[in-house]
Amino acid sequence: MRSEFGADPARPPGGPTAPCFGTNPVRGLAPDPRRGQNWAPGGAGEGDTVDADELLPLVARGDQKAFEELYGLVSGPVYGLVRRVLRDSAQSEEVAQEVLLELWRTAARYDPARGSALSWVLTLAHRRAVDRVRSARAAGERERRAAERAEPPPFDQVAEEVEGTLEREWVRRCLERLTDLQHQAVTLAYYDGYTYREVARRLSLPLGTVKTRMRDGLLRLRDCLGAAA
Amino acid sequence: MRDTGTGLLGRIRQAALELRLGLRVGRPPHSLAVPYALDALDPHETRRFERHLETCARCTDEVRALAADTLRLARAASVPAPPDLRERILTAVRATEQEAPEPVADPGARERRTAPARRGRLLGVPAVPVALAASAAVLALIAAGILAFALVRTDDRLDEEQAAAREIAHVLAAPDARSADARDARGRGLGVVASRSRQQAVVTPSGLGGPPDGRAHQLWVMRAGAAPRSLGLLDGETPVVADDLSARAKSLAVTVEPEGGSERPTTSPIVQLTLESVGFGE
Repeated sequence: MRSEFGADPARPPGGPTAPCFGTNPVRGLAPDPRRGQNWAPGGAGEGDTVDADELLPLVARGDQKAFEELYGLVSGPVYGLVRRVLRDSAQSEEVAQEVLLELWRTAARYDPARGSALSWVLTLAHRRAVDRVRSARAAGERERRAAERAEPPPFDQVAEEVEGTLEREWVRRCLERLTDLQHQAVTLAYYDGYTYREVARRLSLPLGTVKTRMRDGLLRLRDCLGAAA
Repeated sequence: MRDTGTGLLGRIRQAALELRLGLRVGRPPHSLAVPYALDALDPHETRRFERHLETCARCTDEVRALAADTLRLARAASVPAPPDLRERILTAVRATEQEAPEPVADPGARERRTAPARRGRLLGVPAVPVALAASAAVLALIAAGILAFALVRTDDRLDEEQAAAREIAHVLAAPDARSADARDARGRGLGVVASRSRQQAVVTPSGLGGPPDGRAHQLWVMRAGAAPRSLGLLDGETPVVADDLSARAKSLAVTVEPEGGSERPTTSPIVQLTLESVGFGE
């Protein structure tokens, strides 16, 4: 199944959408490049390190050293997010590769006016992962996915991760405070890659209700995490 | 009474239905901000919403705020990437041409192809391949990057470089492709992505600088029980594809040789990389 340049020229790059928006990352949780590629959110003070916002413009000018540093900052978050959506190590590694290489290729597209570099990178990663999981589902992998879904959620699976537990723990706790429907609406969409229409079908809810649950869920999460920060 | 009641109920139902239909037809797109922020729209709706965003400041603000929320969800999923990924990516990066900056960074800009894509199309090759089957995707990206690089050169080495791009993609695509790298204190080193099953490796030199005047950097594979075999002269940091690597291949080495290269190494290696961790050197 290998063709040298076997791309579909009809498809635009970057999946159906390209990331454009974001906001500044939480400053108290700024990345620390000294941790190398094992960096995960949850530590480091502010202002004393180079962050992704400074590195990405250098990368856009072809600076490979800057890319190496950026890799150290974003590879964990990119890989983790992709794996959270795809739930398959081999596929996740492939998609993470695509994303990280695309990051190098298209760094010039990043517009700081529209949000933080990390937000841009993770939006790119999320969209790629969601594209992949949707085409996999379309290709008839529903049963396998359903079987996997019966297993414990990956929040427990990632116990191997020693760093970044603080932010994860807060997010997990805050997600627990959502109502069941808010929680399901948000996580089925974001972590499982379902469209809101699919979420509505799975939860047997009208579309409008699903959108409301998603909104309420995110707002409650924001309040909860704001209190935590 | 009963008739009236039924009639009233019927009218309410009808009104509700119309209302719902009306909502469906004229659904304000900004109600899609939340599913958009969660990447939970289908491609058609995404395009529609992005067009709407261009004229809706309120939606833009809302999407920005929501992006901070989804960023928290994203970061909470962070786990260390597999260690092997790093060298693969860095090798690929050295071989991959970057896209030129775009004049406008609006969402529709990505559909308007940029210069590399036009160059690519001249040869009937998509310059920006996207997710296809499995591992072919990233390799196609690399290959296209190298191609784009090759295409800006108008000399007769074009065919050769295109062939090299395919070779590199081929090695990186091998299911047993593994990588290693080594660097000395001065930052001089070699990176390798090798496949035992394909008996091939992509070797990426780094930090070597230019050779002294009248000299060249020559790459060798050191073999157990056999003389070193030349893999050719290095051209800066351009990746080199090594073919027909036998299981006995122990290490890679770079020596400084007279211009044009030597039959056998005449100096001690300036950098060396063992191939044990990538499945060779039995």
